[in-house]
Amino acid sequence: MRIWNRFGGPRLGTKLALLGLLLLVVPWFSYRQLVAMEDLLIQGQSNTQLLMAEGISTLFNGRDQLFSDLPISTADYEALYAYPVDTDARLDGLLEDWGEGFDDRLLRFGAARDGGATDGTMDVVIGEKDEYLWGFVRVFDETPVFRDTNTLSLDRADHLRLSFIRADGEDGRITLTLPGPGVQSAFRVDENWRRATTGRPEAQIRGFSRVTNDGYELEFRLPLEMLGSKRYFAMIWADVDDPAERAIERMTQTLPTAGKESFELVVFRSQELLDIIEGLGYAGARVIVIDSEERVRAETGSVQGTVNSEPEGSFGLAFRQFFSRIRPTLHRLVTGQEWPIAEPTRRIDDVIASALRGEPNWLQRTVEEQQEVIIAAHPIVSRDRILGAVMVEQNTAQILSFQRTALEELILLSVLSLLIVFVALIAFAGRLAWRIRSLRQEASAAIDQHGRLKTSGLKSEMTAGDEIGDLARSVSNMLSKLHSHNRFLENMPRTLRHEINNPLNTLSTSLQNLAEEIPGIQTSKYLDSAKRGVLRIGQIVQNLADAANLEEALEAEELETLDIQELLENYVANCSLNHKTTSFVYRGVDRPAYARVADYRIEQLLDKIVDNAVDFHRSNSPIKVQLDVTRDALRISVANRGPLLPADAQTTLFDSMVSHRDSHSQLHFGLGLYVVRLIAEYHGGSAQASNLADGSGVVFVVQLPLAAPPARRASGSDDYAQVAAG
Amino acid sequence: MAKTIAIVEDDPDQRANYTDAITKKGYEVVAFGSRAEALDGFERKLPDLAILDIILGDEIDAGFQICRDLLSRSPSLPVIFLTERIDEIDKISGLRLGAWDYLPKPISLEYLAERISSLLRINEAREKETAEQSDSARHIGDLTLDQEALLVSWKGTRIDLSGTEFRMLAKLVRAPGHAVSYETLMNATMQSLVTNNTINTHMRNIRKKFEKADADFACIKSEYGFGYRWSTG
Repeated sequence: MRIWNRFGGPRLGTKLALLGLLLLVVPWFSYRQLVAMEDLLIQGQSNTQLLMAEGISTLFNGRDQLFSDLPISTADYEALYAYPVDTDARLDGLLEDWGEGFDDRLLRFGAARDGGATDGTMDVVIGEKDEYLWGFVRVFDETPVFRDTNTLSLDRADHLRLSFIRADGEDGRITLTLPGPGVQSAFRVDENWRRATTGRPEAQIRGFSRVTNDGYELEFRLPLEMLGSKRYFAMIWADVDDPAERAIERMTQTLPTAGKESFELVVFRSQELLDIIEGLGYAGARVIVIDSEERVRAETGSVQGTVNSEPEGSFGLAFRQFFSRIRPTLHRLVTGQEWPIAEPTRRIDDVIASALRGEPNWLQRTVEEQQEVIIAAHPIVSRDRILGAVMVEQNTAQILSFQRTALEELILLSVLSLLIVFVALIAFAGRLAWRIRSLRQEASAAIDQHGRLKTSGLKSEMTAGDEIGDLARSVSNMLSKLHSHNRFLENMPRTLRHEINNPLNTLSTSLQNLAEEIPGIQTSKYLDSAKRGVLRIGQIVQNLADAANLEEALEAEELETLDIQELLENYVANCSLNHKTTSFVYRGVDRPAYARVADYRIEQLLDKIVDNAVDFHRSNSPIKVQLDVTRDALRISVANRGPLLPADAQTTLFDSMVSHRDSHSQLHFGLGLYVVRLIAEYHGGSAQASNLADGSGVVFVVQLPLAAPPARRASGSDDYAQVAAG
Repeated sequence: MAKTIAIVEDDPDQRANYTDAITKKGYEVVAFGSRAEALDGFERKLPDLAILDIILGDEIDAGFQICRDLLSRSPSLPVIFLTERIDEIDKISGLRLGAWDYLPKPISLEYLAERISSLLRINEAREKETAEQSDSARHIGDLTLDQEALLVSWKGTRIDLSGTEFRMLAKLVRAPGHAVSYETLMNATMQSLVTNNTINTHMRNIRKKFEKADADFACIKSEYGFGYRWSTG
């Protein structure tokens, strides 16, 4: 039951610790606030970017000429768009090193009716890199025929013709010959594309070819400066199939369809636009100008933020890694939504399209892990026409770094405050529990096992101003009231004796005077019984007062070291004189057993036990008194045959006013055994009563602590060697 | 001329009983009910012996005050405390004040009269012959006991014992070496309510008084469970 009570509910500390967990709402709210702040910041940044895009676009508004290096409408041409090549591409006949996505940009010319490849079909893509125009051509040819370098004619083998308008406005004609796989030579040729006009190949134009299963793959480059500002450019594939005859079987060209101009238009970035936006000097953002055909006309800056500025293994980095790991869980936990936000709701095409429709727009996009960009697009208008759009692309590194810092602070602060509050709560709870426990201990120590009040008040917590203090004061107050009541009860016998002694004296002296005055009355039995009554009342009151005073009287006793063995031997011998009808048997020890005692009190104690034993012993059975000595105590036992103790009596027997006698044998208030206990306890010992093991009677055992032998050896049992008390 | 006995007792019944009993013994009795009355009376005439109750009305130690007052006037005046205050501390303070005896209530009137006569006799004897040794003196080893003057000396040193203590010692030394039972010693106190403990207390006091004069004093021996013995060895 006690165990259940003990674990029946959480302790104070546990309760407070659980309450402390409520503090977790602080980081919860903080995180929500952070997310809201992040949204706000992103919104703010995108607005800024939109404004920036708008600002840039105003530079171009109405300046049609900037976009007019192209024909007014490109609808008349099949445009060959020169894609920017950002990689370190080499001339090796491979398209892979141009960068991603170029496979998709291949344009097909000379396709079969169903769109598939046939002999002479070529896929073309061109790019722009480092002031060069780069070209990649994949030709399907079942019978490659390489140039015979012994012939001067350049058109007697498979070759690629490049046709353009030169910077000086004249027609430019270049033939890329194929003497074999590998490096190719380019020659300026005559109007018939037959012979080279110069003996040496064009050094500025370089090419490389590979032979594949399907045909050729050619890569070449020529300087942009060779092209005029018009940038008309065309490629023609001349296919020779018969190595003997060497006649051109078919020609596939990038020339536009019938009715159009005879050159393709190569669209390049506009240097003028670039100059303008570079002149704006934006850092940390990429500005792209596209035309209404969604072609990039100018681009500057980069979105590469200043991420990873911290050294590897630093706390910040470790923290960021840790945070990026827990962020999805944290985000789901707090907001109930997935992190990262799975897919942007808008696609970049939509943003560009809406800008080209005239509506500014923006989107937020995850480029890679922990790297987000915001792209804002604003249209460029000219009168009623939309020339293009300005796109401002900027990553959110700043926001992320801000967020990270804020988060670090937030989490650190949360953890710290949680820790502090937790520790404070634990400390507080501990202190509270300790205070309550000490109060409880003091309160329960205020009353001893016999129910006697040991103190009139509490000492701890009395000055505390809180509820525990109130409790302590109220308990203390209770104790002091109880104490004064107890004092009243304790003083009762003494007061009673004081009060009774006077009338008793009157009665006694009156009876004596009466006997003097009336001569014949001396023999009256009534006078005798009156005298006996007076005597008896006197004895009762005296006994009560003696017991009540005993504790006080004991305090005044001086202890001396005595041989209990001799004292007991002497005492038991004398017992036979006092109790002539009873026999006593003593079994002691063969050496002195010293204890620090007040001999009268031990005698008084023995009197009470022996009287008790005599009263209860079966006639003709001896009363056995025995002394045993253990390592640090001595035991005096007095055993008699006779009625057993009631089961419930063994614990209460030694309490005040408890008597288990049946008969009204004279003057028993149950004080005798109470006196025994008081005396035994005063000597640092104890008194017990129990039934004999064989059930034949009762034994009273008094245990006293052993003492060292006195310095001055006793010459007899009653040599009163005084030992300084204390 | 009849000796004058003063009785100070606030309870009229007891006062009357004492007065009657003592008057019958042939003494002149003056009785007072309070401290003020008593001091007034003593102003007029000092008695030959005073019997004082300690608590008088509301004054819980009026008896002590009267005793102090009386003894300051006449240091050799025998004073008996007769009281219901029988606590050890009261007894000690009473005797320390110079009272000759301290008798607890209830009292035997017979014994009271006996005490009065013996104290008066002792007083007379002491006044008559302070220097010379009395004829009634008994010698038991180093102990000298003057039954008449109630004087005790040990190895020539005077031991001041109260009346009761003297009587108990006298009983004890009647047959040196023999144990004297508690019962016999109780009779010696001549009080109606005596327990073993009372005897033990008296004996301890006697022993202490002897030990004060002679640290090696060890003649009073306990016979545990029976009584005491005067050991001459």
